[in-house]
Amino acid sequence: MPLSTQAEDGNDQYILVASLDNVRNLSNILKAIHFKDHATCFATTNGIKVTVENAKCLQANAFIQAGIFQEFVVQEESVTFRINLTVLLDCLTIFGSAPLPGASTALRMCYQGYGYPLTLFLEEGGVVTVCKINTQEPEDTLDFDFCSTNVINKIILQSEGLREAFAELDMTSEVLQITMSPEKPYFRLSTFGNSGSSHLDYPKDSDLMEAFHCNQTQTNRYKISLLKPSTKALALSCKVSIRTDNRGFLSLQYMIKNEDGQICFVEYYCCPDEDVSDSEP
Amino acid sequence: MAGSLGVGPARKEREAQGASEHARGVVARAEEVFLGRDPGLCSEIPDRTLEKMNCEMGGHQVKVFGRAIHALARISEELWLDPTERGLALRSVNSCRSAYASVLFPTSFFQLYQWSATLQICDSNMPLHLKCKLGMKSVLPIFRCLNILERNVEKCSIFTSANTCRVIFQLFCKHGIIKTHNLSFQESEPLQAVFAKNMCPNILKVQSRLLADIMIHFPLSQEEITLAVTPMKVCFKSYIEDEIDFAKCMYTEMHLDPDEFDYFQIGVDTEVTFCLKELRGLLAFSEATIAPVSIYFDLSGKPVAFSIDEMVLEATFVLATLADVQSSRSSPSSLCLSQRLKRSDLMKSKADAGDDLTNTEKESSTVRAASKRPSRHERQLDATELESFYVPAVKRLDTHIAEATENYQVYSKFCSLFFGAVSPKQHDFNHPWINLATVSDSEEDVSNGPLSQVF
Repeated sequence: MPLSTQAEDGNDQYILVASLDNVRNLSNILKAIHFKDHATCFATTNGIKVTVENAKCLQANAFIQAGIFQEFVVQEESVTFRINLTVLLDCLTIFGSAPLPGASTALRMCYQGYGYPLTLFLEEGGVVTVCKINTQEPEDTLDFDFCSTNVINKIILQSEGLREAFAELDMTSEVLQITMSPEKPYFRLSTFGNSGSSHLDYPKDSDLMEAFHCNQTQTNRYKISLLKPSTKALALSCKVSIRTDNRGFLSLQYMIKNEDGQICFVEYYCCPDEDVSDSEP
Repeated sequence: MAGSLGVGPARKEREAQGASEHARGVVARAEEVFLGRDPGLCSEIPDRTLEKMNCEMGGHQVKVFGRAIHALARISEELWLDPTERGLALRSVNSCRSAYASVLFPTSFFQLYQWSATLQICDSNMPLHLKCKLGMKSVLPIFRCLNILERNVEKCSIFTSANTCRVIFQLFCKHGIIKTHNLSFQESEPLQAVFAKNMCPNILKVQSRLLADIMIHFPLSQEEITLAVTPMKVCFKSYIEDEIDFAKCMYTEMHLDPDEFDYFQIGVDTEVTFCLKELRGLLAFSEATIAPVSIYFDLSGKPVAFSIDEMVLEATFVLATLADVQSSRSSPSSLCLSQRLKRSDLMKSKADAGDDLTNTEKESSTVRAASKRPSRHERQLDATELESFYVPAVKRLDTHIAEATENYQVYSKFCSLFFGAVSPKQHDFNHPWINLATVSDSEEDVSNGPLSQVF
C-alpha cells in the first residue's frame, strides 16, 4: 500500500484529501463537461462540484458526491480553486483511459490550499505517478437563478431517445429550438439549417418518456454550438431531465451511473437565444 | 413569418433573377440549363400545387433506399428526385459529367406511391414535371447510418409540399418518434445519360459478389482500372499513367475465364479504362442485393455502363472511359461514325411515357459535355472547359447524340458522356460557339416554329 503509507504522515497539511480506487469514476464524469480548458472546483464535505462555463450563456456542473470517494476529507468550510481541466484529465488518464479487465488506477488527490498546486498520486500495478497541477485564481461563476418553483415544463426522457437526435443535429443550423407543450407536438426539437428545417417529435406517451409535466406551450431557441457539448454528458447518461423556467432558461440534468453502479449528476444550464426576428416590427 | 408576405415578393425576386440572367453571358446561360433555372419558364409557373409526389416505404425498404443514396453520393454532390409513372428515380451526374448514375424504384417498391404530372394550362401546354434537385449534403445525413435506420424506422414517407419548393422526408421511428426533414429543392431538369445499352457489342453479366471480390484486390489509391476483353478471356488491371514512377506503384492484373460469367458476349476485342471510385459505390450498393451486375461497353473512349436489374429496383451507372489517343488518331473516322448512336433505351421509354400524357411534340436537348483528362493537375484546367457545354437548340422527335469532332490532345482523355434532359422541355439558346457537334438529320426544321414562341 504505497499510497496510504506515503500520505499518512502528511494528511494534516492538506485542506482537501480525496482517494478513489477507480479513477475512471472521476475522469469519466469530468469528460462530460470538458468543452473548455478551464474549470472551477468547489469542495465541501458533501463532495466536489466542477463548473465549466462558455460565453456567459452556458454553464455545466459535474457533481461528485463524497460517497463516490473511498476517503474524502475537507478541512475548511469550502475549498475553491480554478484548474486547467485538459491537464487534469490528461493526468487522470495517464495510465490510459480505456478500461482494462482486472486493472484499475487508484487516485489520491491532495490540495494544500490557496497558492499550492493540486497534487495527484496515481497508482496502477505498483507504478505510482505523482502529478502536480498549478491551481489558478478562482473566478466568479454565473448564477442562473434556476429555481424549481419557476419551472414551467419538465420532461424526463431515457437518454437513448435523445442520443441519436443529438448526434444527428444539423450543425449548419445556428439554433436548436425546443418546443414543450401540453398539446401536440408535446416535445419537439427543431433545427433550421442550410438545406431546410428538421423537426423531431416525441409523443408524450412514448415508452422513452419517463415523466411529462408540461403546463404551458413554450418555444425557445438555444445556440446549437453551446448545447452540442452536452452530447458528451448525454452519451454517458441513462436518463435526462429537461426543464424550462418562466424566462425560457433551459436546464438539462443527466443521470450518470458509474462503473460501480453509483449515481452522479451532470447539469447544463443554457440561456435562450434572443429572438431577433420577434423584436422586429 | 415569411408565409404572410405572400408569393408576390418571391416571384418578383425570381423575375429579377431572370432579368439578371439575361444580362449574364452565354456561358452562364449554358450553365443555367443544367440548373434548370430557365428564366422564361420559371416566371410562367403560376401554381406549384400542380406538382405532386407522395410515397411511403417500410423499414427494410428505407435501408435499400438509403444505400442507393450512399452509392449516388459517390458520384456527385447533387441528387435529382425524378418521380415518374414507373416509379421514383434517383439520379446523379458528377460535376465534370464523366459519371452518371440512376436508380429507379418501381411503384411496387413502395407501400404507397402517388404521382401526378398535371398539364400546365398555358402557352406551351407542356406536362409539368416535378423537377427536383437536392444537395447531397442535405439528403445524406437523413440516411447516414443504415443499420440504425433499419432498426429504428418503421415507415418513411417522402412527399412534396404544396407551393413551397420543399421535399419532406418523414421518418416514423420506434417509440413514436417522428423525424421530419423539410429540404428545399432547386427546380432543375434532371439529366440523363444518352447511352444505348443494346448497341453495345460487349456485354458481361457477373455476380456482384464476384465483381466485388475482384475490386478488393485493387488498392484504395487506385483511381482507374482497365477492363480488357477478348472472346477467350477477361482481364481487369490497374491503369497506370505514363508519367508515374513505376518504382512507386503497384500493378495488379486479374484474369477471368468466360465461365465465370452468367452471360458472356464479346463482339469487339477492346480495352476500356474507367474510374474505380464510382464502381465501388455501385458495388457497395449491389452487395446487399444478390442480383448480378451487367456490364455494357464498346471501344475505348465510349462509356461503360454497369447495371443491376432487379424486381425491386433498376440501377444504371454510366462511366466515361479513357480515349485511346493512338487508335483515334489512326482511325478517327471510324470512331466518329460509331459514336453516332441513335437513341438510348431509357430515353425512349421516357419519351413513350410522356407520349401517353400529351401529344405535344417532344423536345429534348442534347448536351455535349466537356472532356475530362485524368491527369491530376489538369483537372483544375478542365473546370473552365466545362463552361463550354454545347447546347444546340434542337427540336425533334428523336434525341440524337451530337457527333463529336475529335479534339486531339497530347494526353489521352476521358470521353464525355452525353446528356439529354429527361423530361421534354424547351430550350433556346443564343450560342456563339463554333459547332462542335452536328446533328445527323433535318427534322429540326419542322419544329423550329413553335419554339420561338417561348421567348
